[in-house]
Amino acid sequence: MASRASSKGKGKAARGSNEQSTARSVKKWSTWAMKKAKVITHYGFIPLIIIIGMNSEPKPQLSQLLSPV
Amino acid sequence: MGSSVSHAAAPPPPPSPLPPAVGLAVALPSKAEEKSEKKVDYLNLPCPVPFEEIQREALMSLKPELFEGLRFDFTKGLNQKFSLSHSVYMGSTEVPSPSSGTIKVPTAHYEFGANFLDPKLMLIGRVLTDGRLNARVKCDLTDNLTLKINAQLTNEPHFSQGMFNFDYKGKDFRAQYQMGNNAFYGANYIQSVTPHLSLGSEVFWLGHQRKSGIGFAARYNTDKMVATAQVASTGIVALCYVQKVSEKVSLASDFMYNHMTRDVTSSFGYDYILRQCRLRGKLDSSGCVAAFLEERLNMGVNFILSAEIDHRKKDYKFGFGMTVGE
Repeated sequence: MASRASSKGKGKAARGSNEQSTARSVKKWSTWAMKKAKVITHYGFIPLIIIIGMNSEPKPQLSQLLSPV
Repeated sequence: MGSSVSHAAAPPPPPSPLPPAVGLAVALPSKAEEKSEKKVDYLNLPCPVPFEEIQREALMSLKPELFEGLRFDFTKGLNQKFSLSHSVYMGSTEVPSPSSGTIKVPTAHYEFGANFLDPKLMLIGRVLTDGRLNARVKCDLTDNLTLKINAQLTNEPHFSQGMFNFDYKGKDFRAQYQMGNNAFYGANYIQSVTPHLSLGSEVFWLGHQRKSGIGFAARYNTDKMVATAQVASTGIVALCYVQKVSEKVSLASDFMYNHMTRDVTSSFGYDYILRQCRLRGKLDSSGCVAAFLEERLNMGVNFILSAEIDHRKKDYKFGFGMTVGE
């Protein structure tokens, strides 16, 4: 009975550390995702606005985008 | 505070009974009918302004974008909705330094921006020569729910900031939920209580510093004046009052008390909106006098002058610039 109690205790501890490691890995993956999202937004936000703008009606010309007038 | 204000806004008295209409009284509109005010319909109140704009009239008059140096903005519209902007700035910016308060550092930068403005989706992006990106997104997910994203991204790690706001607009209330980096969570709610008065409150929680706060605000406005009061658990009391003296002139005054630092500031300002120019000026209790002039030279060409004189710190800032384009 003592061995069963101790094995139950060890099982709970193992499950607890399992949950802890899943929480840690979720946090690690979400931090990785936020870092990638930040880099993508940093480089891609202005090109995204330009692409959406150039495809809106009435379509402007590419020369209008580059010329200063 | 809330109860005393609501007692002041009691419903109007009922109109007096009309005399029998004879002769000229039939032709002229009855005076009693003109004077009787509509009974307040408490189920049909107007939607209040958003919580963060509760002091917008005072901020427009008292806090213009003062700058020092040269500023040139050029906005080129390619489309009704899409425009590009180029902006050059040469001047000094204040950098907080550990030794002597703030020091002025001469800076010059060029900023390229792209705007896409649609009734349902608004995207504004600005990128500077040192790689900093300023992004603002406003998207109407449904008729009543709006998502706003505000972000400043830098190349240096850990200096970027971002904030997500979800706004819900109800019939006579607005609610907002905010999430930001550094584990910042906030929510605020504002409700119209009478046709002129709206009350609101906000809570926020900073995760990394384990700080939380709560604040209350009230706004009373009529056609001619706006008065607001805000109290927060961070020890700040802010009151402001704006009076629209005429179509072209409005005057504003503002009072702020910080209980933690025992700091009191009060300022008084004016806002003249004339046909060809807009002149805003303010006078502060910390000895600071400022003025900001936007003069319309031609269709779409504006000339800007900005001046700020701080008598106490002996700091004089003058700036000039031009804005071309809408």
